Amino acid sequence: MSSSRTHARRTFRAKYLLPGGLLGIAALGTLALVFPGAAQASTTKAQNVTASVKACGSVNLKGVSNVHNTGNPFDSTKLVCFDGMLIRYGDSAITYTNPPKSYVAAGKLLFDQTCSSCHGSQANGVSPNGQAAIGPNLQGVGAATVDFWITTGRMPDSDVRAVEAERKPPRLTDTQALQVAAYINSLDPAVPAVPTPNLKGADVAVGADLFSLNCAACHTITGAGDALAFGTNAPSLQDKQVTAQQVAEALRIGPSNMPRFSGNLTDNQVRDVVAYVTEKIQHPANPGGAGLGGVGPVAEGFIALLLGVGGLALICFWIGERS
Amino acid sequence: MSDEEHEPSRTKVPMPVAALSDPHLGDAAKHPSRAEAIIALILVVAIVLMAGFGAAYTQNWDPWIIGGTLGAGMFLLGFGLTAWGKYLMPQGPFVEERHVLASTPEERDSMAAALVERSTVVVKRRKLLGGLFAVGSGIFGIVALFPLLRSLGPLPGTSLDVTDWRKGTLLVDSNGRTVDKGTLVVGGIMTVYPHGLQNTSVGQSVDQTVLIRVQDSDLVTAAGRETWAPAGYVAYSKVCTHLGCPVGLYEQQLELLVCPCHQSMFNVRNGAVPQFGPAPRPLPQLPLYFDGNGTLRAQAGYDQAVGPGFYERTTTKENGT
Amino acid sequence: MSSPSLPTAKTKRQALGPYGRVGNVIGELDDRLGVAKGGRVFLDKIFPDHWSFMLGEIALYSFVILMATGVFLSLYFVPSTTQVIYHGTYVPLRGQSVSEAYQSTVNISFGVRGGLLIRQMHHWSADIFVGSIVVHMARIFFTGAFRKPRELNWTIGTIMLILAILEGFIGYSLPDDLISGTGLRIGYSIVESIPFVGSYLGTFLWGGQFPGDGSIEGRFYIIHVLIIPLVITGLLAAHLGLLVRQKHTQFKGEGRTETNVVGSPMFPTFMAKTTGFLFMVAGATALLGAFAQINPIWQFGSYDPSKISYAVQPDWYMGWLDGALRIMPSWEFAGWGHTIPLEVFLPAVIFPGLIFNICLIWPALERRFTGDNALHNLLDRPRDRPKRTAAGAAMLALLFTLFGASSTDVLANYFHVSLNFVLWAFRVLTFVVPVLVGFVTYGICREMQGVQGIGKRKRAVIVHRSTEGEYSTVPAAPRPGDTHEELEPEPVPVRIDVSPLAEASPLTSTESSPTGSRQVSR
Repeated sequence: MSSSRTHARRTFRAKYLLPGGLLGIAALGTLALVFPGAAQASTTKAQNVTASVKACGSVNLKGVSNVHNTGNPFDSTKLVCFDGMLIRYGDSAITYTNPPKSYVAAGKLLFDQTCSSCHGSQANGVSPNGQAAIGPNLQGVGAATVDFWITTGRMPDSDVRAVEAERKPPRLTDTQALQVAAYINSLDPAVPAVPTPNLKGADVAVGADLFSLNCAACHTITGAGDALAFGTNAPSLQDKQVTAQQVAEALRIGPSNMPRFSGNLTDNQVRDVVAYVTEKIQHPANPGGAGLGGVGPVAEGFIALLLGVGGLALICFWIGERS
Repeated sequence: MSDEEHEPSRTKVPMPVAALSDPHLGDAAKHPSRAEAIIALILVVAIVLMAGFGAAYTQNWDPWIIGGTLGAGMFLLGFGLTAWGKYLMPQGPFVEERHVLASTPEERDSMAAALVERSTVVVKRRKLLGGLFAVGSGIFGIVALFPLLRSLGPLPGTSLDVTDWRKGTLLVDSNGRTVDKGTLVVGGIMTVYPHGLQNTSVGQSVDQTVLIRVQDSDLVTAAGRETWAPAGYVAYSKVCTHLGCPVGLYEQQLELLVCPCHQSMFNVRNGAVPQFGPAPRPLPQLPLYFDGNGTLRAQAGYDQAVGPGFYERTTTKENGT
Repeated sequence: MSSPSLPTAKTKRQALGPYGRVGNVIGELDDRLGVAKGGRVFLDKIFPDHWSFMLGEIALYSFVILMATGVFLSLYFVPSTTQVIYHGTYVPLRGQSVSEAYQSTVNISFGVRGGLLIRQMHHWSADIFVGSIVVHMARIFFTGAFRKPRELNWTIGTIMLILAILEGFIGYSLPDDLISGTGLRIGYSIVESIPFVGSYLGTFLWGGQFPGDGSIEGRFYIIHVLIIPLVITGLLAAHLGLLVRQKHTQFKGEGRTETNVVGSPMFPTFMAKTTGFLFMVAGATALLGAFAQINPIWQFGSYDPSKISYAVQPDWYMGWLDGALRIMPSWEFAGWGHTIPLEVFLPAVIFPGLIFNICLIWPALERRFTGDNALHNLLDRPRDRPKRTAAGAAMLALLFTLFGASSTDVLANYFHVSLNFVLWAFRVLTFVVPVLVGFVTYGICREMQGVQGIGKRKRAVIVHRSTEGEYSTVPAAPRPGDTHEELEPEPVPVRIDVSPLAEASPLTSTESSPTGSRQVSR
């Protein structure tokens, strides 16, 4: 490379790109102040926020909720951007991290091998012949979504005709999952990034209260999981392979039929629920003896009738006569 | 009773041979001392276990040890006593005659005669007086129930027909936080109450409402409800119209609210009309609007009574139900 | 009379009489209460020994255990819905607003030594109580023990079953936890659904629109610890009194007739067996309470009307009602300014009313249809009355299918089928299964009636072949214990000595038992 071309490039940047960029930022900022509705409208229209923050430069992100302290990167205390890309955000309760740029290449390789057959070579849900592919469009789902579906083993899917992809032993390692996540996120960056809950300082009692209001209706109060409508189901949370990260991811992304909890749960609340699930749901206090599966009176009734009445009837059979 | 009947028989009567031939008792009958030894052993174990229970309780050991020793001890105690009764005590079979339950026809006649003839002879105008007494007792029986029932609680009045939602009521969650346009993303759900009532019994039971964001733009669930769900925020009563359970189960891709109790399924897009299950009516919808500060409020109360049906519940013109 | 002197051991013994202190005590009691004659009759009372006659005892002793454990619980439970902040040992509840009833129950479970054991024993015992009543009733039904003169006992028993079910429902609703509170919400709606009076009854009982002013908790408490137990105790006394007066039924067999009772004597045999059985029932219940957790309310949290858990079924004896509610189509009648919620009223009020009324009037129904108004002290074998057995089996099949219908979500999850499909399947099964079971049972009974030697072990045959090559069979010698012995029922003698190797001599019976029993001769 000749020094004159480099010099020309630098001059171009200094003369036109930088002022132009600053002007653009200023213009947008003015617009946002003068027309707050305009900024909001653009959020609600396409959930696409083009926001300018001093540390980040211009960052284009899907899926941001503009409610305070609910996984909103631009409202977090730990925002870290680099080269126009969101690296990390969050607060003391949960830290959201995007996988590093170096993972993208490996991720593309894995995606082409493992995922493109269903999700299309561009990950946009379109197969090479232009028809809709089996899998949905993955562009703009965010790193946490990809990481959740792969680390829980639901993807790659083994039975595409089933109503919902079931949890099974994961095909890819955790690192490979992050690599694929990095690749998908590079196509159309979005939030949430991969959450790491900080369980120290969690309030399990708050978590219990929130769990019973928001989660028990599908997952049952003991987290045993159950069948929902039309062949769908809420999986068991008692399974010890469910990690804290996966619970936080599920809450923030709303996988499959599960609702997505964004502005209605703060990061502290999500962290408390995660702590309750990993501590109490997965290690229930069963001082009374065998837990009988945590499904309640159905199992208890069987035991009472078969073991209780049945056992005592057998004793009657021993005591009495048989004619 | 004569003295002979009081004189006890001193003859030793051996245990009837039946026990020997009975396949279940024969062994014990042949070797009673062995049976006794086994039963004695069982009772000794029971004693040890009972002592163990005493120790477990006073030393506050784990609940299963306390219960296990008590249970096993009681069981073996009973087992020993029952085995004693079954194997070492005379089984018989002995016989006892049933005395005839019924009295003789003469005795029956004399009782019937007493009832009929005394009432005929002694009491004149018995039909009038008897009838009046019967009516009086009947009325007493009925009005005696009045304090037993009515004093228990208030009349329902209109309490079953109305909630606390009014024009302008602020929607808050269980922590008192308000809702604005960015609170829920599409596919999100939360439980809301009227502001100030979120921790009260009536707020939780009667006014509880589910707020769901179905889409990004205004949602029309039925004719006449064009403004009820701004920006896709739709609110339905959380009280199931079947039996009153909170309908908290939301499947966002199926856009279905499912009641966890008896699996009634409500379509959130068309006004929570039940698509499956025993619920008879849609969940009433709460009309919403965003005020000047962008906070979500109710336009008015529910257009019909929430919850399960009852006799005085009037039908509404809304979708003819 | 000799001159008074200091009593010696010999004179003391003579003064006591031939039966020692026992004789003296009986003498003193008899002077005041006249119990000696009746007491002797009582001691000689004969109890038939068949094992199925003990099923009612399971229920009786479960009731005793319920009362004993219930007294313990009542010393710690606080029947109040006043909200307090929990500050106890169970961390996930700390700081939450809970009712005093809930807090006291958590305290019993975690704070009172042995409290969790007693609480679990109480709950297991309640499940076993209702279960054994049902099994006992089934035995009575299938053997026809409800016939004259015992129809009143059957009626009393059915009423006790209804009370037991109600008592159990109220009992597990007392702790005011999330799951039982949901059951109360459903109960309120069922009361509300009754035409004309429903909304009034609901606000009267609960003290206002659900959840009311909290008075329901206190009312349920007093109904649960005082009113229903008193009524059950009274009915139980009548039930057992009738049993003593009419004497127990018995199966046909050796030496058994319509006018006698054959079995083992009250003292010492039956008393030993039944007291032992009491301890065994208590022991089994305690073992269940020690090793199997039941109703872990601390995991559920205090009741909040806006919270709900999935997979909530009521306790098993209410399961048939829950199943009926789930499968019922959504037929609500609304017109002329009124609403009658048939989808609630029919399965939750009319249907159980129908079932219990059929139970209550069954003896009368059978009298009408068989034209049989005779006294029966001998029992039927179920196969000998195929129509009755089929009807009872069909009823049990219906109740069991409905119980299955209350677990639609659990079954759909376990077998990986669609929830909607499971529900539709149960709508069909509820009608098909009882009819099928009825017909099959009828057929089995008729088959069994036709089989020779039914119920007895088959006799082997020895095959001989003659020198000409002809086969012939000879019945083999019967196994010991299979010979049809007419065991001679003997009246209860005064003195019984255990010397089994001596031959039993015919007893001189007339002087031995004042019950006037006779010696049965072949």
